[in-house]
Amino acid sequence: MRPGTKRLWVPAGLVALIVLLALLAPLLGLPDPVRQDVAQRLAGPMPGSPLGRDEFGRDVLSRLIWGARSSLAVAFASASIACLFGTILGLLGGWFRGLGEFLAVRSMDIVLCFPPVLLALLVVTLLGPGAGTLIMVLSVLYLPGFVRVTYAEVLSARSHDYVEAVRALGASAGRILTRTVLPNVAGPILVQFSLAVASAVVLESGLSFLGLGVVPPAPSWGLMIRGARATMAQAPLLLLWPCLALTLTILAMNLLCDALRDAMDPRTATARPRLRLLDRVLPGLVPPAPNAEAPEAVLEVGGLTVEIATPRGPIRPVEDVSFAVHAGETLAIVGESGSGKSVTATSVMGLLPPAARPVAGAAWLEGRDLLRLPEPELRRLRGGAMAMVFQDPMSSLNPVHRVGDQIAEAIRAHRRGVTQAQAWSRAVDLLRRVGIADPERRARAYPHEMSGGMRQRVMIAMAVANEPKLLIADEPTTALDVTVQAQILDLLAELRRETGMALIFITHSLGVVAEIADRVVVMYAGQVVEQGSVPEVFGAPLHPYTRALLAAVPDGDTAPAGIPGVVPQPHAFPVGCRFAARCPHAKPACEAAPPALEGAGEGRTVRCIRWAEIGAKKAEAVA
Amino acid sequence: MSAATPPLVEATGLSKTFAARGVFRRGRPVQAVRRVDVSVARGEALGVVGESGSGKSTLGRLLLGLQPATEGVIRFDGQPLDATMPKAEWRRLRRRMQIVFQDPFGSLDPRRRIGAQIADGLAIHDLVPAAERAGRVEELLRQVGLDPTHAQRFPHEFSGGQRQRIGIARALATGPEFLVADEPVSALDVSIQAQVVALMDDLRRRLGLALLFISHDLPVVRHLCDRVVVMYLGRVMEEGSAEELFRAPAHPYTRALLSATPRIDPARRAKRILLQGEPPSPSNPPSGCAFRTRCAHATAACAEVVPELRPLGGERRVACIRAEEIA
Ligand SMILES: Nc1ncnc2c1ncn2[C@@H]1O[C@H](COP(=O)(O)OP(=O)(O)OP(=O)(O)O)[C@@H](O)[C@H]1O
Ligand code: SF4
Ligand code: SF4
Ligand SMILES: [Mg+2]
Repeated sequence: MRPGTKRLWVPAGLVALIVLLALLAPLLGLPDPVRQDVAQRLAGPMPGSPLGRDEFGRDVLSRLIWGARSSLAVAFASASIACLFGTILGLLGGWFRGLGEFLAVRSMDIVLCFPPVLLALLVVTLLGPGAGTLIMVLSVLYLPGFVRVTYAEVLSARSHDYVEAVRALGASAGRILTRTVLPNVAGPILVQFSLAVASAVVLESGLSFLGLGVVPPAPSWGLMIRGARATMAQAPLLLLWPCLALTLTILAMNLLCDALRDAMDPRTATARPRLRLLDRVLPGLVPPAPNAEAPEAVLEVGGLTVEIATPRGPIRPVEDVSFAVHAGETLAIVGESGSGKSVTATSVMGLLPPAARPVAGAAWLEGRDLLRLPEPELRRLRGGAMAMVFQDPMSSLNPVHRVGDQIAEAIRAHRRGVTQAQAWSRAVDLLRRVGIADPERRARAYPHEMSGGMRQRVMIAMAVANEPKLLIADEPTTALDVTVQAQILDLLAELRRETGMALIFITHSLGVVAEIADRVVVMYAGQVVEQGSVPEVFGAPLHPYTRALLAAVPDGDTAPAGIPGVVPQPHAFPVGCRFAARCPHAKPACEAAPPALEGAGEGRTVRCIRWAEIGAKKAEAVA
Repeated sequence: MSAATPPLVEATGLSKTFAARGVFRRGRPVQAVRRVDVSVARGEALGVVGESGSGKSTLGRLLLGLQPATEGVIRFDGQPLDATMPKAEWRRLRRRMQIVFQDPFGSLDPRRRIGAQIADGLAIHDLVPAAERAGRVEELLRQVGLDPTHAQRFPHEFSGGQRQRIGIARALATGPEFLVADEPVSALDVSIQAQVVALMDDLRRRLGLALLFISHDLPVVRHLCDRVVVMYLGRVMEEGSAEELFRAPAHPYTRALLSATPRIDPARRAKRILLQGEPPSPSNPPSGCAFRTRCAHATAACAEVVPELRPLGGERRVACIRAEEIA
């Protein structure tokens, strides 16, 4: 069964029930909905008429069910017609562009210009009331909605590589549209359908209420409301029933379409982590004290473990991570995607997503444990004593403000008494410092007017605006071209030398680590597997993973060697060594228990039970 | 490649200009590819390197006929490709050339099982009777190193590297002779990258594919490709055998690109040539040499004429008027 199908049952059952009731009305043995009995006028519930009688003495329940027939028939028929033609027009317009696009989309704009009720009034006056006219009017009214939704979705689907791939396979336009594009735009169309049905039911009632829809004495919800209004004072319940029926139908339709959309999407099962308020509250663990002997580190992280609540249960994407970085030093954290680099950085900054929380460990900055600091104090530190630069500068810059203003704002947020003019001139200085030519003019530019490299320079200017003690850069050059990357790496190294700040540089590129860092932390599957100075770790790696990673980089003359298998997922971390499944040196003992992080010489740690043994063997082989 | 084997794909004087966008067509047209000559022989891997916006992807798409060229001629197996060819003719050619994309997440239809997507090519060209398609899909999955029983799964159940293999299987389904791989490993982790590169190399040798490998990762290109074309702002700056070109780059841009590539081994690290600024916009390229605004060797003469791609001994060709002087 596809994921998400379970959620479908309740709304589908409800809609089926309503539709079935309407369809089976003739078989239910209900009293004739149009037979009048003036003697029982406005009678309350009685045998044979559980909901009572209306102002002409007709049975209310019967009229309600027969009314559903006409209301739903009109709604479904008009929504279906609109959906069919609208989808076709939208598909053609979006796919062929040009004249088709113009005709399909612009003609709809014209329809949209008419107020719906007015258009309906006009047509009904011309053609006379009745269900047929109503269906026609409503389908025309809903057509533009479908055209526009389909058109927009097709345009966005067109830009996907998988559509291009089917084109490259030589598929005909018809096949692409029906097999590839349509299923991918079906979700929004379904939603539009539910909206159209719901609104058609309402509009049908409204028009019937005005006497322009279903012709009395035939039952319809609109007519029932209209009749009940006149006798509202004597029999208020008469108004309640059709309104209730209306509300229930619309609600059920909307629920059904939501569920349908989810069920049709094979991805929903894994998406959407549930957010719990509780997760924001930190447990009152006693933090381990910072290491007293070593020289004062700017940041010292010890035993950091982060837990994230997911639909499949809690996971620990970061476990027992420890490292320290000193003033004027660059520490690189390297690892493949999903190894926990960014979670580590965001927990230090106090920027974890709501579903995540640190469950153990500590992160000391200037004698304070960042993991247990209340949010207001963290906010004072962020952008002040510690700052961060992200991979995608566009997502961290505000698109509607000038970059100069944004830097000035960052300055004034942390320094009281600085005037706007002072902050602005400092912002211009900073832009000059990060190598932006013509900073006076550039300060007035908006982020989208700059190239990727320039935006990253702006982010760096903002991060160093308040002379932080610690700068964390999370893949700051990954999205940039190599020649621009080289410029940014140079800039960061220069700033670090000048200001003496500590720099944590997160990357997945070993080459970048070699260029910029003093020390390196290698992470794998949420754990630190090796740590040490860059020349030592890269010159003589101790952990089998580090060794394999270095061999996978196409740097030397030998062909790069891939590591077989894949990184384990956080919900399926093995008990023992997490690299065991891919490790050429794995022994049964490796999988029995989690290996500890062992010291391996001056400032060097490694998480492997066989590192000494393997090292000795290597040395032998060389000798 | 020796001159004896005629190229499978050959383009001469290829240009592509995208008209400015918007209703009023404000702004200038983008010149994505400018007067490029390339050829790929059967069994040859040609690398195309350059920074973003240099026109690499556009070149790949032009060669596959996925976008019409503004100017120039493309021949596939001796037959000129042109937009006015009958549809049936196009479809027959489509079968013989395929593409693998960069984004392992966007290149597979999230709503269809991977088996069905791999079978698409078989169905479209009616290559294998419907009853035997499942078997062929399993064979293809095995060929790219995936578990054949996974055909019924959805794309989201696979990792990035596995998805890239699925994309390769889909491209191989029609038995193509020419494969364009547009940054197929750029979105992957190094350990996975090496697996996929090895797979592409193996397939090329085993199936005798002509491969156009687009990448901005020079070391990967060096290991996989026989020949390399270096592009900048839509033009070819340098061309030559991978071995030679990486050992002794002749064009100032190739040198800068190589020296900017981060290296692990300090001994291999070239002296960094730090380029100033960023590439100019392809809608407003400089006159004369496209690279002159960032070139340390630029002289007044460089602004006058567009340096032509001229031979520099052997297979090497370079588009710089001062190549010998600055060598
Ligand atoms: N459909 C299009 N309409 C307008 N401009 C386009 C279109 N496709 C590409 N371009 C432009 O053509 C130029 C070359 O683009 P192309 O995608 O070929 O570069 P690339 O070298 O592949 O870059 P990247 O490494 O970022 O993928 C760019 O300036 C790009 O913006
Ligand atoms: S502990 Fe065992 S499996 Fe893990 S890295 Fe060391 S040798 Fe390999
Ligand atoms: S032609 Fe002139 S500007 Fe262009 S690369 Fe050669 S020296 Fe530099
Ligand atoms: Mg590209």
